[in-house]
Order: sequence, then C-alpha cells, then structure tokens
Amino acid sequence: MNLKLESKTAGGVTVVRCIGRIIFGEEAAALRASLKNILSTSKKILLDLSDVSYIDSGGLGTLVGVYSSARAAGADIKLTGLSQRVRDVLQITKLVTVFEVYDSEQKALAAFR
Amino acid sequence: MGFASASNPGLDKSSGIFPSLILVQGNEQRALLLDHTPFTVGRKVDKDLVIADPRVSRDHALITTEQGAFFVQDQGSKHGTFVNGQKVERQKLQRNDRLEFGVRDGAYVIFHPVHGVSNTAAREFLSQISGLQISTDTTDLEKLTMFLDAARKLNTTGVLDEILVTVAETTLKLTHAERAFVFLKAEDGSLRLAAGRNSKGEELIDDTTISRSILNEALTSASEFLVTDTSQSLDLAGRRSIVAYDLRTVISIPLRKPQVQAARRDGQFPQASAPAGSDILGALYVDSRFASRDISSVSNDILRAIATEAAQLVENARLVQAEDEARRYQQELAIASSMQQGLMAVHIPEVPFARMAGRNLQCKEIGGDFFDAVSTEDHFAVFLADVCGKGVSAALLASTLQGMVYSHLVARMPLAEIVAAVNRFFTSKHLGEKYATMIIARISPQGELEYVNCGHVPPLVVSSQGVTRPDVGNLPVGLLADASYESARLQLQPGDRLILVTDGVTEAENARGDFYDNPRLEEVAARSSSLDEIFTSVADFCSGTPLNDDCTVVELVYTG
Repeated sequence: MNLKLESKTAGGVTVVRCIGRIIFGEEAAALRASLKNILSTSKKILLDLSDVSYIDSGGLGTLVGVYSSARAAGADIKLTGLSQRVRDVLQITKLVTVFEVYDSEQKALAAFR
Repeated sequence: MGFASASNPGLDKSSGIFPSLILVQGNEQRALLLDHTPFTVGRKVDKDLVIADPRVSRDHALITTEQGAFFVQDQGSKHGTFVNGQKVERQKLQRNDRLEFGVRDGAYVIFHPVHGVSNTAAREFLSQISGLQISTDTTDLEKLTMFLDAARKLNTTGVLDEILVTVAETTLKLTHAERAFVFLKAEDGSLRLAAGRNSKGEELIDDTTISRSILNEALTSASEFLVTDTSQSLDLAGRRSIVAYDLRTVISIPLRKPQVQAARRDGQFPQASAPAGSDILGALYVDSRFASRDISSVSNDILRAIATEAAQLVENARLVQAEDEARRYQQELAIASSMQQGLMAVHIPEVPFARMAGRNLQCKEIGGDFFDAVSTEDHFAVFLADVCGKGVSAALLASTLQGMVYSHLVARMPLAEIVAAVNRFFTSKHLGEKYATMIIARISPQGELEYVNCGHVPPLVVSSQGVTRPDVGNLPVGLLADASYESARLQLQPGDRLILVTDGVTEAENARGDFYDNPRLEEVAARSSSLDEIFTSVADFCSGTPLNDDCTVVELVYTG
C-alpha cells in the first residue's frame, strides 16, 4: 500500500496530506474511504498533493469522484502542492478547469474564507 | 483385480446388449458380463463367478434367463442366496438388485447397474457400501475404510453435492441415526444446509428442528465431535423437543480444514493450532429420537474417523469445484479476448486524399486502448480512445464506446455532439469511476481538419515547419455529467501528418524511472516515416523494462 494520508485542521479547514501514489486499487480505495469519512464532519477540505509522486488514470478517477461527492454534499475541495507531473496530467485532462488549484497552503486556506 | 475405471472393458461392454454384474469384494470392484446363461456362481474354480469363501457352496447358485428376464436360482446351497437381504430360492432380478451368496458381509454382486462412466459405478459402489449391515465394531471400521477409499477415488471426478449426500447417507448408516444434516460454511461465515437425509433415504430440506446452539457449541469447541441431547439445547428446537416428548440425541461433528499434522494419539483431542472457527469448513449434525434409537454409544473411533475423512472429502470436492470454475472463467476470458481482438481489427478505408496507419501494443490479454476509422461521403475520420483501467471492465467499456462513436461518425454527427452524447451515456449509467480519454479527428478532401480532444494526450501535427501540438482540449468522457465539449479546426497541407498516441507511449518508463515523454516523441515523429520507428524508439528507450500500459499510435497523412 503506497499511500499515506495525514489530516489536520487549520482555520476551519481539514487539510489532508497525501504521501505516495494515488493509483488504482488499495490506494484509490483508501483515499475514497478517508474522504468519505471526513465529508461527514467537514465542508472545507484541502488536499495537499506535495508528496504525491504519481497519479494514474484510476487515481484521477477517484479524485474526481471524491470531488463530485463533496459537491453533492455541499462541501468544497481544493488542491495544493501539485508537482509538475501531476499538474501536466490535470492540464491535459482539463481538470484544472474543474479543481481550484493553489500554489501554497496559505493561499488555499485564504481562498476558503 | 483392480478398481473399476473408464478403461475397464467390462464397463464399456455394459452399454451393449448384455447386462453386467458388478462384483464388489473388499474395497475393490470388478465388472462381469452376463453374456451367457446359465451363469454359474460358486466356490469351484470352473464357475463363471468364483467366490473363494468357505461359506459359499461349491455349486451355489445360477443366473438364468427366461423370456427376456433374468432369474437367480439357489442350487441348494448351505447358507443360502440373498437378494437385497432376503433369502430366496428363485427370484426374478431387477436392475440394481444386490445379490449375496452364503455370506451377508462379504462379497456381493449388483445386477445390471445403471450404465455410465466410472463415476456412476463408484457412486453405486459407495451407496452399496453404506447399505451394508454393520454387526461388530471391527467390521464397522473395515466398512468405513472401504467407504473412505472409494470416496477418495470419487473425489477426482465427483461433484460437491453428490459427495455431500453420500457423506450424509454413510454417516447415517455408520451411526444408525435417524437424520443427518451436512452444513457448509458460506462466504459470510454462517452455516448453510447443504444436504440432509433421513434413515428412510428421504431428502431433508428443512433444518428448523435442529438445535443451532448445539451446533455452535461443537464448532467453537476444539473437539472433534460433541454428543449431547436436545434437553441441553439453548434454543427453541431444544425446548420444543422436550415438550413434544421428542428428545433427541445429537452428535455434532465439526468439519475442519485438513492440516498436515502429526498422528494423533488415541484419546487425545487435536491441538487447536488456529483460532477456533477459522478452519471450519462446515459441520455434520446427526440426531435420533431417544424413543427410537440410542445413538449416544456410537464408537468414538467412528466419529473421529468421520470427522477427519468427511472434512477431507468436502475440502477436496471444493477444490475440484474451484478448479472447474477457474477453468471455465479462463475459457470465458479467452472468448472475450478474441471477441475484443475482432472488434479491434480495424478495416482501414481507402480514400484518395488521405492515408492512415495504426498500431496497438497490448501489454495484457484484454485492455482498454483502441482506435478505429470511418469513411463517409465527405470525410475521413479516425478516433483513438483510452479507457481507464485494464482487464474485462475496461474492455467492456471500450467496446461500447467504440460502437457509439463509430455509429455517430457514420451518421455524420458534429464531433462535439458525439462526445457529449457519449459523456451523457456513461455518466448516467453510474459506472463508478470509469471514464475514457479520447480524440476524434475528421478530415475533408480539402485538408480541413476538425478534432475534439477529451482529456487525451494532445495530437502531433508534423509538417514542413516542424511539429506542433494543437492544444484545444476538454474533459474526459464519463467523468462529470455537466461537462461541455468543444472542437477545434486547422488546415492541413498535402504531406502533413497527424499523429495520435495514448499515454502508454508518453509514460513508458525505463529502468531509471524516466518517462519517454513528449520531447522524445516529437523528435522521433518529426524524423520518422513510419509508425514502427516510433515503437522502436520507445522500445529502445525502455530497453528491457516491460510496459505497464497499452501503447497505441495512429497516423493520418493528408495526401491531398
């Protein structure tokens, strides 16, 4: 299992730090389960992907799925810490137009207010 | 004398004109053909059937035929001739009759059993053994050994249900009980009734009168079996039985997964090497009313042997069944794979103004990359898609996608509408997180290229000016229901080439973990004149590191 998830709260926002790979299988499932849990108590979520080395098509699908669930629950998910690779993937798939992406945690937290 | 098998000539011949006799002796059986009459039976060596037992008379009996029917005739033997346990002088024989000559617990003969392969004969054999009268303790064990031997041989061809019924029936015979139920542990851990028989041979399908509390007590203990009565039951079945003067003795035998273990010393319970319950395959529940039969004194040796051997049987049968299922699944997969190959076989249309080539390198037997081409009156279209994931589900989605896009192109729908329709179809079907990236490109005889890119690797346009990457793009299809799509246009000159790839190419890795990536792709596309060169370049780059995703390259040359 190549993904670790750590969460903390900052300024009313749940910040979920993802470490590893977001890929098909256990990793994607873990992300899905974790976010589902968090959504029951928090409406503001920031995904910090600074330590995510790789996202495959399955991981991307889960990311979008999680985003859709959040929207359906009236919550908001923003992204930060995108590596060049991950940024490229989001660019090609035009998901940068769907997700709000921020250069730093501070900027992202500010956007939540 | 060997055990009957499919290659036994006696059995093969039995499907012909003459009835056969199956001689069962000890734990062996032999088929004899009743191809002449009178057929003689006795101890003398010149008999058709020689039974070397002092209790068999030298000229014991005859089997004769009269007007198409067969009869057994006792020849004044000392100890008599028996048909199905009844002593007879002369008796007309029916199919499956059991003949015994002088001895009631030795060799016997089955007349004209049901035709079939060795599996059936073994089953016959098995049921015949279980029908034997048990007289003494030592004979009990001998019979049990025969049963077990036969049953193990049955394992190689048997089906779980038949084996379970045999386990129930044999347990009944060996314990003289009234009812026997076989339970198997289901996927959710609960015990499900798998077979039930009573001493009359009737099938039992209702397990509401068994005591679950007694069953559970046996399972959670570390013992091989539990002998108790329903007055000890904690549930309704027990209480009901007391009220109705229907007290039953119950023997519950857990069936535990066979493990390689040292021989158990007599009188010792086996060590519980795993947490109780984790090794349970099922259980045997055997009961009798106090009033009718007392089964509480059934020999411990027998119960112990049943516990071990029935469990072995069930385990083996389940393994055989699992193998069968796996084999069947592999066959289905092979069929699906060849179907997908068929769908993937692109028939490239010939048009005067363009030339197309495409190649797909699959790294698994069934996958989600595909491309296709459609030519209509006024256009030539090519499309390439990459369905997320691998395996059967990706292939299923891919085929559906291919059908939708192909038919929409034939109907000459606008490109943006085509992908919007596909997106609507897939998002409304709630397939989970399944989606596809896709490019459709359509070119006219005048070189007008229209394309729509749905989350896919941007195409390459190679012209005399170099390589450009048209970058108008959209979301993948199947991801977000409210996505909107737009196409873009550009003008090609004769000789210009449009190259489409899947991300299996750009994300191909070498041993160091570097990706093949876009700069290399653009460079090889600019100088190469064939698809093969691109594939060779990727292969050289990876040099030995296997691909982890399908690679597809499609090239469209506008010749003008």
